[in-house]
Amino acid sequence: MSASPVIRLDDVSKRFGATQALEEVSLEIEAGSVVVLLGLSGSGKSTLLRHLDGLEVPTSGSVEVLGQSVPELRGRALRALRGRVGFIFQQFELVGSITVLENVLTGALARLRGPRLGLPSYPKALREQAFAHLEEVGLAAQAFQRADTLSGGQQQRVAIARALMQDPEILLADEPVASLDPESSDQVMNLIREIGLRRGLTVVCSLHQVDLALAWADRIVGLRHGRVVLDTPAEGLSKEQVMEIYGRVATSTAEIAALQDELLETVAAIAAEENAAR
Amino acid sequence: MTAIAPPRASAPATPPGAPRRTLARPSGRVLTAAALLLGLGVAAIWSIVDLEVGLNQLERGLANAGRFLQRTVPFEWPSLGDVLWLSAMTLAIVVLGTLLATVISIPVAYLSAANTSPGGLVTRLLGRLIGIVSRATPDAFLALAFAMIIAQGALPGILALGLHSVGMISKLTADAIEQIDEGPRLALRAAGATKAQEFWGGIWPQILPSVIATVLHRADINLRATVVLGFVGVAGLGLELSLGLKSLNYREGIPYAIIMFALCIVFEIIATSVRSTLLGVRPSGRSLGGLLARRTVPAAPVAVDPLKQPWTPERRRLAGFSRSSIVVIIGALAVISTSLPNFSLFWQNIGIALNRMLPPQIDEAKWGSVAEDFLITIQVGLAATLVGVILSAVFGVFAARNVAPNPTVRGIFRLLLVVNRGIPELLLAFFLIILTGLGATAGVVALAIGGIGLLGKLVADSLEEVDPGPERALRATGATRAQIFFAATLPQAAPAIVGHVLYLLDTNVRASSLLGVIGGAGIGFTILQASRINHQEMLALLIIMVFVVLAIEALSSLIRSLVK
Ligand SMILES: Nc1ncnc2c1ncn2[C@@H]1O[C@H](COP(=O)(O)OP(=O)(O)O)[C@@H](O)[C@H]1O
Ligand SMILES: [Mg+2]
Repeated sequence: MSASPVIRLDDVSKRFGATQALEEVSLEIEAGSVVVLLGLSGSGKSTLLRHLDGLEVPTSGSVEVLGQSVPELRGRALRALRGRVGFIFQQFELVGSITVLENVLTGALARLRGPRLGLPSYPKALREQAFAHLEEVGLAAQAFQRADTLSGGQQQRVAIARALMQDPEILLADEPVASLDPESSDQVMNLIREIGLRRGLTVVCSLHQVDLALAWADRIVGLRHGRVVLDTPAEGLSKEQVMEIYGRVATSTAEIAALQDELLETVAAIAAEENAAR
Repeated sequence: MTAIAPPRASAPATPPGAPRRTLARPSGRVLTAAALLLGLGVAAIWSIVDLEVGLNQLERGLANAGRFLQRTVPFEWPSLGDVLWLSAMTLAIVVLGTLLATVISIPVAYLSAANTSPGGLVTRLLGRLIGIVSRATPDAFLALAFAMIIAQGALPGILALGLHSVGMISKLTADAIEQIDEGPRLALRAAGATKAQEFWGGIWPQILPSVIATVLHRADINLRATVVLGFVGVAGLGLELSLGLKSLNYREGIPYAIIMFALCIVFEIIATSVRSTLLGVRPSGRSLGGLLARRTVPAAPVAVDPLKQPWTPERRRLAGFSRSSIVVIIGALAVISTSLPNFSLFWQNIGIALNRMLPPQIDEAKWGSVAEDFLITIQVGLAATLVGVILSAVFGVFAARNVAPNPTVRGIFRLLLVVNRGIPELLLAFFLIILTGLGATAGVVALAIGGIGLLGKLVADSLEEVDPGPERALRATGATRAQIFFAATLPQAAPAIVGHVLYLLDTNVRASSLLGVIGGAGIGFTILQASRINHQEMLALLIIMVFVVLAIEALSSLIRSLVK
């Protein structure tokens, strides 16, 4: 793993009117690492991710991605950077009325000149490539269905294929499984991680579930009220350290209590599973 | 890694090595819709060529404009008293005609809506049929027929507007009934309410905002329609205008057109402010009825005295509106009562009129020319729609928040659309006919420009209503604005836009049949002639006209159901 950071935030603050969404966030992320942004709703996870793709401009501080200062980019240069960064949304954000395959192809728009409408308007080579990506996420059979006929989990996998179509170096995911049932969640999270590892992508994913983050990430960055309150490797944590994570990212004692119960259940469930496996 | 299941292994769609299909096999539905739309487009282009629509005719018109102005300026304005009285007469006809249509439309809508129709499919089709036939019968020709029975004046206008407007009001009301929340109604039924109680207690309160918006919109359309009604003898501003113009006395005629234009704008402003104070400004929705009124959620009243309904702002506004409506209706009745015809010979007159009209027939020698007239009417409708669609696409795109390059551009184009809506298209057609002479160009251009106000607005609204998520997602991939528009915005808005275009086609074919009445080409002129000479022929032509409009409506509703 190279030690040079592909993402570097320095003292980034962002205000929306009276709301301080991010406050003095400094963060470096190395190429190829799998990082979770962990925090409750409203803690600033989405805002942080959006800064990395130039969808938001910081009130102060600097954002550097792939060696470029994002807030200074405009027009063609900004679009070129966005082409190198894939973004996966909580609500999938597919165009429901066109086919799955065409949705995947829209991921290649930044590489193409001029507008496209309809499958035949994309070069054959790209269509082949889109098909291969659909196979990678296990949805080749659905290529010609309208996107809105798929289940939530399937739609999110199409969105992943669309991001792959960009041939990205960085993959950002904003609560990618918050709208999915547990089984699809596992599938999608696994797919993201597997694809990230296979292609050596840098993956930054926001989540609000501590247990999922612990099981999935290499590194966990905790946010609370727009501040980084935690930055730790995910492996080899003791139970006390895990409790501390809950304590830091949660906002009130009531929430900590609720999370504690949840954690006990998770621990019990894992123990039961291990027993069953024996 | 703990409790996460491995991803499902994917079955390759094709065996390795085999050539892969990367284009969708188009479904029959899509192909049919595309073929029909393409056919309409080709027919429209052929119409433009065949009618010899061209800018040279308009150029000649501009050359004529100087001479026209010489014969028009200075205006000879009517006295203020006359202006006020004629405006009151015109408004009274519009108010009472629209009121009559509303009263008839409620039972027709009740019959037509799937969830209220008492006799299942049979009564439903009956209700829809009444609406379709009413919509397909142009109001000017209805007024012509009524004038024969009860003498010219205001009444034929009221009846014509009343019957013709049933089509639109009942359809949009039926759509609103079908979209209600069934809960309150079922609660009333469970409590033992009669069918009528169920309707007025459980359905009416829910559809009222939509009905008010529809009726206001229709009144607006009817006000414009009085221009043409004037040409067939209905009292009011339109009549004075047509008298001045027919006698080539432009100095006296044109001022009435200006007054009419001002009245249309004032009415538009009043209707808009009533809509926004009463319903809240939330333009958009699935159907046209929804476009006119989003369903408002009344605030739950705070009960102070359980026996007295509290005066919430909501209730105060509604009561204010009810009271002013009643005042307006009484005023309209008072104005009309000054010019009511003598009804003592009514039944006798009906007998005479029917005797002259029945049986409907057309002299065999005229079949060829009649067919040609109908063809021209349809061609003008198609050509005007194509030109209107092209112009509206430009206006609609620049007036849509999510597509326009910046808010200023959007504001300018929205304003242009509102101003355009204020111009009655047939008045515009009339000026163009005066300027360019007979020939189809005047009608095509007038209807095309008149269509921008409606279609441009509907296109802009449809574009603004798309889910913004996919647009954002494509922005995040680095796509350009144009790419985002074609890949995310347009595919989402397309079905709605196709529906609106077909709606414009329906409207234009009907309007094109009226061009003849004001001196343009097409079947309208022949019908007007027949109304003076041969009533059997007139009735036959009217019946054919209704079937032509029905056929075009059937085609467009077929396409609409295919692209949904
Ligand atoms: N476009 C915006 N306008 C105003 N406030 C915003 C905007 N985006 C986010 N916020 C506010 O910033 C804070 C952080 O939001 P967000 O980044 O969405 O948090 P998270 O994704 O962790 O739930 C919240 O208080 C939110 O209301
Ligand atoms: Mg969020």
